[in-house]
Amino acid sequence: MSAAPHSTESLPVLSAGIRSFTYHGDGLPVLEGIDLDLAPGTLTAVLGASGSGKSTLGRLLSGWLPPGTGGTLRGFLELAGTRLEFGAGGDPRINPAEWGRHVGFVPQDPAAVLSTVRATVAEELAFGLENAAVEPQAMKAAAEHTAALLGLTEFLERDPGSLSGGQMRRLAIGCAIIAGPRVLIMDEPFASLDTAGTAGLARLLQGLVRLGTAVVVLSQVVDAPLLAAGTWVVLENGSVTGSGTPAGLQAGSGLLPPGIRASGGAPAPAVDHAGAAHADRLLPRGGAGVPALELRGVCFGYGTRGNAANGRTTWRRIRGGSTAAHASAQVLQGISLRVRRGEIVAVTGPNGAGKSTLLRHVNGLLRPTAGRVLVNGRDIAGEPAGEAARSVGLLFQQPRDQLFERTALREVRFGLDRLFHPDEAAGRALEALSAVGLAGASDAHPAELPASGQRLLALATVLARKPAVLALDEPTVAMDGGGLALLDAAVRSAAGEGAAVVLVTHDLDYARAVAHRVVTLDGGRLDG
Amino acid sequence: MSPSLTMPAPAPAAARKRRLLEILGAVAIAATYIYLVLNQPADITGGPGSASALIALSGFLAGAILLIVAVLPALPASSVVLIPVALVLNIVLGQFVGSTLVPFYLDAIGTVLIAVLAGPAAGAATGALSSIVWSFFNPTVLPFAAGAALIGCLAGLAARHGMFRRFYLAPVAGFVTGIIGGVVSAPVAAFVFGGTSGVATGAIVSAFRSMGDTLLAAITKQALISDPMDKAIVFTVVAVLAYALPRRARLQFPFVRRHRVLAGTTPGQDS
Amino acid sequence: MRLHPLTSLAAAGSTAVITTAAASLPLSLAVMGAAVALSARSGTARRLLPAAAAVLLPLGLSLLVMHGLFFPEGRTVLAQWGMARVTAEGLAFALERAAQLGAVVLALLVFSFSVSVPDLVAVLSSRGLHGRFAFVLASTLTLLPAITSRVERIRQAQESRGLVVRRGLLHRAAAFRLQAVPLVLSLIEDAGTRTAALEARGFSNPGPRTSYRAVPDPRGQRVLRAALLAAAAAAVAARLLLTQAGS
Ligand SMILES: Nc1ncnc2c1ncn2[C@@H]1O[C@H](COP(=O)(O)OP(=O)(O)O)[C@@H](O)[C@H]1O
Ligand SMILES: [Mg+2]
Repeated sequence: MSAAPHSTESLPVLSAGIRSFTYHGDGLPVLEGIDLDLAPGTLTAVLGASGSGKSTLGRLLSGWLPPGTGGTLRGFLELAGTRLEFGAGGDPRINPAEWGRHVGFVPQDPAAVLSTVRATVAEELAFGLENAAVEPQAMKAAAEHTAALLGLTEFLERDPGSLSGGQMRRLAIGCAIIAGPRVLIMDEPFASLDTAGTAGLARLLQGLVRLGTAVVVLSQVVDAPLLAAGTWVVLENGSVTGSGTPAGLQAGSGLLPPGIRASGGAPAPAVDHAGAAHADRLLPRGGAGVPALELRGVCFGYGTRGNAANGRTTWRRIRGGSTAAHASAQVLQGISLRVRRGEIVAVTGPNGAGKSTLLRHVNGLLRPTAGRVLVNGRDIAGEPAGEAARSVGLLFQQPRDQLFERTALREVRFGLDRLFHPDEAAGRALEALSAVGLAGASDAHPAELPASGQRLLALATVLARKPAVLALDEPTVAMDGGGLALLDAAVRSAAGEGAAVVLVTHDLDYARAVAHRVVTLDGGRLDG
Repeated sequence: MSPSLTMPAPAPAAARKRRLLEILGAVAIAATYIYLVLNQPADITGGPGSASALIALSGFLAGAILLIVAVLPALPASSVVLIPVALVLNIVLGQFVGSTLVPFYLDAIGTVLIAVLAGPAAGAATGALSSIVWSFFNPTVLPFAAGAALIGCLAGLAARHGMFRRFYLAPVAGFVTGIIGGVVSAPVAAFVFGGTSGVATGAIVSAFRSMGDTLLAAITKQALISDPMDKAIVFTVVAVLAYALPRRARLQFPFVRRHRVLAGTTPGQDS
Repeated sequence: MRLHPLTSLAAAGSTAVITTAAASLPLSLAVMGAAVALSARSGTARRLLPAAAAVLLPLGLSLLVMHGLFFPEGRTVLAQWGMARVTAEGLAFALERAAQLGAVVLALLVFSFSVSVPDLVAVLSSRGLHGRFAFVLASTLTLLPAITSRVERIRQAQESRGLVVRRGLLHRAAAFRLQAVPLVLSLIEDAGTRTAALEARGFSNPGPRTSYRAVPDPRGQRVLRAALLAAAAAAVAARLLLTQAGS
């Protein structure tokens, strides 16, 4: 794939020789022994489990984590023929703006790159050019060109804060490439994109590579577009443990650590989980008795609830602001769903179909405008969400909102004392932690766990209560291979003990692998 | 044209100019305060004392603006990006606590948090900017910019000298900061507003007035009752928040590393 | 004709300064009336009046109680209950002060509710300090609704974990800690990422900048601005001279 017409012989535009990199205040280095050469017109994938150091490496290469301010680097970075040596005393200080003209970076959370001071997508795109004193005419042309490349033309006059997740990621890419950097580094760009979004992004990357950009994708999942990469670099615990062509690395078994998973759910080395067949055995027979969860004709629309007239309209939508399109559209139109004890049901659908909205009805965070929600045959209409949480455990897409304690153990114990005898509570907490493989991290600060670990910790807090209904929002996003295997095991054993599980995912392969039943939410209705 | 990939060394002349502006700002605030306190008896009852109102307004505001001009360009970008966050925290957390603990304003949580994490200069800029930006919605807070800058600066100094290393010292530092801040802000309330903006605080002022105090004396005494308690609570809340942050998030701030602001964070290897 | 943001700022500012300097009840009342009429004409009154009331009602009430009932300097006693003495001087003082503050507040709010923030930011963003000040202003206005909805999201996530906020000071204080910690932590993390993103896009560039958004500044308005500022300065000077002469 690196056979771009004019770049076969070219020298690397960015090279790094990292002997070690240590964050301030940490004893041990996070990165060790990494040598990397990025040539123009190539696509490189850096693959590694959650916490293996991909993001750290990406930010270091792109000047987002300048050595000195962010941590201590020993080694060198060489960009466009300038070599900077670090760790020998009198370290140079990187000029992030100049570095940024050559190397663009798109972080894991694209919303965080927004300047927050520009009113339209066009101006947001132009922000970097304004700071470089580019002439207005040239800026306009560049913004329009970039937007066309990313399929954002129709959103040029929109408020950047009102974009959806996928559009936001494209905008973040646009901000990174508008100045025409020679290197583009992207951190987990395919996470949470549906099939259409992934294909669109893959086309964009191919275009950039053809034009001579050195593109680097950091990922814990071998997404389909990465199979076309020229080089794979495998990162494990901060060190490179293998590199070469995709074919070579995939063939030699054991070269890819289990933390890296193939897209579609199953861990990368084709370990046969015998997904559906295995699950079928556990499915309790005889649908007698009340279902653990039942939705009867649930309807819901955001507009009707008068989403607290927020100040945003007052201050920001001054010009050409087309207000959010869903204003009063019905998101859910008569949803009916029965989930028996021990059954795992997956709800799939494209981005924006209302999957998360549906899930929030299960424990009363959102109330249906028509229809009823019954848990164990009891209508939860009058019950505050905090009370319904006794029997319904809901795991959010973004775990960090759900975590607030100082250590993982305290996190899991939170609220257990009110439900169980103290001794039992302590036992349950430890049991839940080890069920998700975090027994060794019980003293760690939840926010310092890698993304996968935070997910699992949030799951443990829910499991410790042994809820009758377990509801999971996009459990695969931000999960590495090891984490997903633990999650699968924990969910199956919860179902085996009689919990009804509803999980929402855009990943159809994964849904088929774990669930007894897959239903699709589209246009506000369920089918399947 | 390919400018260097590394940063140039900062120019000493610019630093000297900023120091001068800082001093000018502080002098403007101090001079205004002294002038108002010395001249107050003649003016207040002779009709709405518009001359003193103008002097209070312009003196304090000019001082605050000079401080901003001196400090803001020199702050690292990481602190500048935190300032809007602090302003929103002032508002959002202030509302939350304000609805629970009625008699206080608690509108400086964000300012003090930034001061603790990023130092006195960032704290002062945050305080002053908080008043100026908030006056977009409520113009009456504009004249208090100097007082708010002082609070932010004092909080940063307290943090630098280890007042946040022991949990019980934080409220003490807050109490002292509140006394100073209250005394400095009182002339603004007296001369610009002729009173206070809240009904509860107004009642306290009325009580002192009924004993025959001048307006400035009554408002100063009222400030000495509410402000120290208020700031003691704010400092405590900030200490709770700062210690709840993971080590990694705290150590990301050079100020915290260099001055060992919070207990349990070893001084960094750098400088 | 669309006003340049700085022109409307100068108009509001000099109105505020002149009313304060004049300290005359009729002028204050006239300015209040004009401000309300102006915002009604531009269609912002529905948002402006509640905001103004939230500021002015407690302030006015406080002044009325404070000076209406207790004004030791007052001579003309209208009524007396124990310690409290209603004096004509006290009432007049409260009324004049309230009107004067009302005029200032309304004039400035008319500006903030009518100005186009993006235009104002574009004008201020020329360079250096202005750019950073504009950043703080605009970023705060953007973050305020975003963070309010994040607080809501955190509350939802925690309720799903069984958090029930009960009545009572201690319970609420504990709930406050639980919600404030993830909020502050995520804001600080995001600010770190945003800093890196802004730096990479030249936020701290010392050189000149250009602006994507064009805000026309006709000559007439520049002259008008100068005139407004001169008028404000003259009013202040006149007031100071009169005070000098009077004492
Ligand atoms: N700001 C930080 N300070 C200290 N340690 C960090 C910081 N960010 C990440 N780490 C640690 O560095 C390691 C690599 O993290 P990261 O680069 O985010 O990995 P990945 O992107 O592969 O998940 C992890 O052990 C993580 O805990
Ligand atoms: Mg990462």
